[in-house]
Amino acid sequence: LSLSLSLSTMVSTHVENPVYDVRLSSVVPGRVTGEDKVQELTNMDLMMKLHYIRGLYFFKSEAVQGLDIFDLKEPMFQWLDLYYPTSGRIRRQSENGRPFIKCNDGGVRIVEARCNKTLDEWLAMKDHSLDHQLLYNQILGPDLGFSPLVFIQFTWFKCGGFSVGLSWAHILGDIFSASTFINMWGQITAGHVSPQSLNMPNTRKYEFPPSTAKKPFSLKRVDPAGDYWLTANNCKMETHSFHVTAKQLNHILSKTFGLSKAANKFPPFEVLSALMWNSLAKIRGEFEPRIVTICNDNSQSRENDFSSNGQVISIVEADFTVMNANLLELAALIGEKRVDERRMIEELEERENGKSDFIMYGANLTFVNLEEANIYGLELKGQKPVFANYTIAGIGDEGVVLVLPGPEDSEHGDGGSNGRTLTVILPGNQISELKNELREKWGIF
Amino acid sequence: SLSLSLSLKMAPTLPEYSKTVKPNYVKLGYQYIVNHFLSLLLVPILLSILTEVLRLGPDGLLDLWISLHFTPIQILCSSFFTLYIATLYLMSKRRTVYLVDYACFKPPSHLRAPFARILEHARMVLGSKSESLAFQYKIIERSGIGEETCVPPIMHYIPPEPNMQLAREEAEMVIFSAMDSLLKKTGLSAKDIDVLIVNCSLFSPTPSLSAMVINKYKMRSNIKSFNLSGMGCSAGLISIDLARDLLQVHPNSNAVVVSTEILTPNLYTGTERSMQLPNCLFRIGGAALLLSNRWSDSRRAKYRLSHIVRTHKGADDKAYRCVFEEEDPEGKVGISLSIDLMTIAARALKSNITAIGPLVLPASEQLLFLATLIGRKIFKNKWKPYIPDFKQALEHFCIHAGGRAVIDELQKNLQLSAEQVEASRMTLYRFGNTSSSSIWYELSYIEAKGRMKKGDRVWQIAFGSGFKCNSAVWKCNRNIKTPADGPWNDCIHKYPVDIPEVFTL
Repeated sequence: LSLSLSLSTMVSTHVENPVYDVRLSSVVPGRVTGEDKVQELTNMDLMMKLHYIRGLYFFKSEAVQGLDIFDLKEPMFQWLDLYYPTSGRIRRQSENGRPFIKCNDGGVRIVEARCNKTLDEWLAMKDHSLDHQLLYNQILGPDLGFSPLVFIQFTWFKCGGFSVGLSWAHILGDIFSASTFINMWGQITAGHVSPQSLNMPNTRKYEFPPSTAKKPFSLKRVDPAGDYWLTANNCKMETHSFHVTAKQLNHILSKTFGLSKAANKFPPFEVLSALMWNSLAKIRGEFEPRIVTICNDNSQSRENDFSSNGQVISIVEADFTVMNANLLELAALIGEKRVDERRMIEELEERENGKSDFIMYGANLTFVNLEEANIYGLELKGQKPVFANYTIAGIGDEGVVLVLPGPEDSEHGDGGSNGRTLTVILPGNQISELKNELREKWGIF
Repeated sequence: SLSLSLSLKMAPTLPEYSKTVKPNYVKLGYQYIVNHFLSLLLVPILLSILTEVLRLGPDGLLDLWISLHFTPIQILCSSFFTLYIATLYLMSKRRTVYLVDYACFKPPSHLRAPFARILEHARMVLGSKSESLAFQYKIIERSGIGEETCVPPIMHYIPPEPNMQLAREEAEMVIFSAMDSLLKKTGLSAKDIDVLIVNCSLFSPTPSLSAMVINKYKMRSNIKSFNLSGMGCSAGLISIDLARDLLQVHPNSNAVVVSTEILTPNLYTGTERSMQLPNCLFRIGGAALLLSNRWSDSRRAKYRLSHIVRTHKGADDKAYRCVFEEEDPEGKVGISLSIDLMTIAARALKSNITAIGPLVLPASEQLLFLATLIGRKIFKNKWKPYIPDFKQALEHFCIHAGGRAVIDELQKNLQLSAEQVEASRMTLYRFGNTSSSSIWYELSYIEAKGRMKKGDRVWQIAFGSGFKCNSAVWKCNRNIKTPADGPWNDCIHKYPVDIPEVFTL
């Protein structure tokens, strides 16, 4: 694929193209990483290779007042010194073709663009269907050795508002890692220098007892991707974000639990997942999802650890009809009856040894718990983003629901809990029905 | 597509040019006698005069004086005559030109261009199947340039789109940084500068870069400013030559020389192979120097200028065309290097050495060379040509880091040891080819290594388009402590490094 082709797929062929004046450049670590430094990829990393994380942060103009592109780029050199594997490139081992990252300082790609809408106009569009123009459509391959693992797009809006679009290959780490990575950039920009470098564990394979040889439900086998790491969908997938305000969240929680003592037993993620599961089951009718995949944060060892694919991946199986179930039942199922599949996934990759390729997100309907992700932690000039969102590209047809923290609700002054952002990536026809369902039943837009 | 090999080839050790482990006593004796011939001759004469004086005694000397019958007029005239001769001599003596100090531009790490990034960008701009891409890959692999070299900001973009504003910004960044550093080091006030010479070969805006410096530092209105452009990588030494000549004419003055090369407007975007080399090897860099003929600077100056020899081979057509800026068949401007470059360079070097040899070589070497020359004429080239041992005359060598081939060629021709070309190789590795300022990075390396002692002589050689070979010989004026600042201060402990023959990605 030549450069011009990727650029044209990134910018839509919509009649009026709001994003223009696109320029590409690269940023490398400030210090030489050194020859022959490599980052091994664990089995879990390789399982995620067909998925791509896209994070989008919107800022008001005060956050970047007086800052030009150089002020934004300059802290990156020190930042990439800390995270030097992100500047590397994929190579394959000569013996078995197993991919690894060669830390050769190829750098991260920076995209600069302008938008002819104001920030408020863009956010008012609500459907976020054009958000992909603020992000680079990153795909690793067909030249794996020359594909950057991270793209960052800076877009200036007509009013001076600003967006940061992070495109991150899932092979590097999960959304928690990506979010920590970009937050660190914000900290260095503000002058909070982190003196110690991060732990770079070289071998992160953990030993476990010999195989159970069971196939995990959370994965789906796909055609071998070769050197072009993208999976094809059978239908057109679309993205939409629902905003659940704190008030609506409380309403949902109270409606679910009623006055029973079960109130607040389940965190909002489980209730909201139950809600979505129930709604989608109704929409899909006879094809209702009985098995869903749940991704949770493995909060044990994140401090100062380099990015990793450390999520807990579990499945939940319902042995009853989902569309008729009540939320409490489903939330209980999600909360208590999860089956951790990480070992099975690791063993499968070990056995397969790269012969087949798999996807995890969208193999079943997947719910990703990002409540603990500090996505509003990216601050520029002391300003938090007015809105932050994450999606995942390269997912399966069953779809993905991400439960993210919502923007700070300054109007209601409720310092305690914020709302939630529910981002869904589903087949297009299901999205419109889902919108109706949520609006009518729960008042969620 | 390009294959990416993982193995790192080990560097072949450079041939050892430093010879005999056992000192050749005959040769040493011969050298001592010839070099100190005059003093050896003077000693017996002085001894005999002394014995005669002692024999005569003070009375005998007084009698001798009276017997000469000098009248007061004769004595007065002879004293005036002696005074006159002495004054004439002192006034017509060439003023000593001192290099008080110099400063090199240290590029900030955010301009770093690792190989992986250079080639990835080239791939995106030229296309993965491009022949020029494969050629660039080969050049960079064997270039002897490391991963810390820097290019100007615009070259980090895909594709790079230079314009005049960005070229000026690069010039400002490099020149002002070096000037600030120089003014701080020497305690010089900008208003005190009498002569300003700026040399930059490929970027020559109006007003000139020297005007830009004068404007920024608010220099005096009667400053003598010069801007040299188009003179290639040897322009640094040409500027020094000009400064020296000016300082002969103007007593009690100083001169600031700024040498740099601005890369932003000169990126070659075409596919001609002969024009690719400058793209791959040139890096951002610059130096500022303070020269002076003031007696007050003679104590604190680092070096004094002994000789400058300039050799121009432009009369030969081939030499004239061997580095030529022209448009390629697609209309893109680039600098094409001809295949004969190394041959022409070797010839120019030989001319230059022939000129500088008599000025620096001790008498012993010159006699040997003369004897061999006569012998070859008589015996019709059966004798091998005698290559004078320049290590006798000069302690340090700064060969312009034009490329690995240039340094290899000169090392072979002059029979230099690995340590003597170390400064050049390490500068090429750490800073790339910074054109006219590279000899100053090399000198800085020698100082940073603590190898420069009072009385040491340094030979700087630079080649340039035209085809020119210029060289300068400096003598170290005082003991130089390892400088606390300078482009090598944070990394000198890592050097020398072993530079692989072929760098693998």
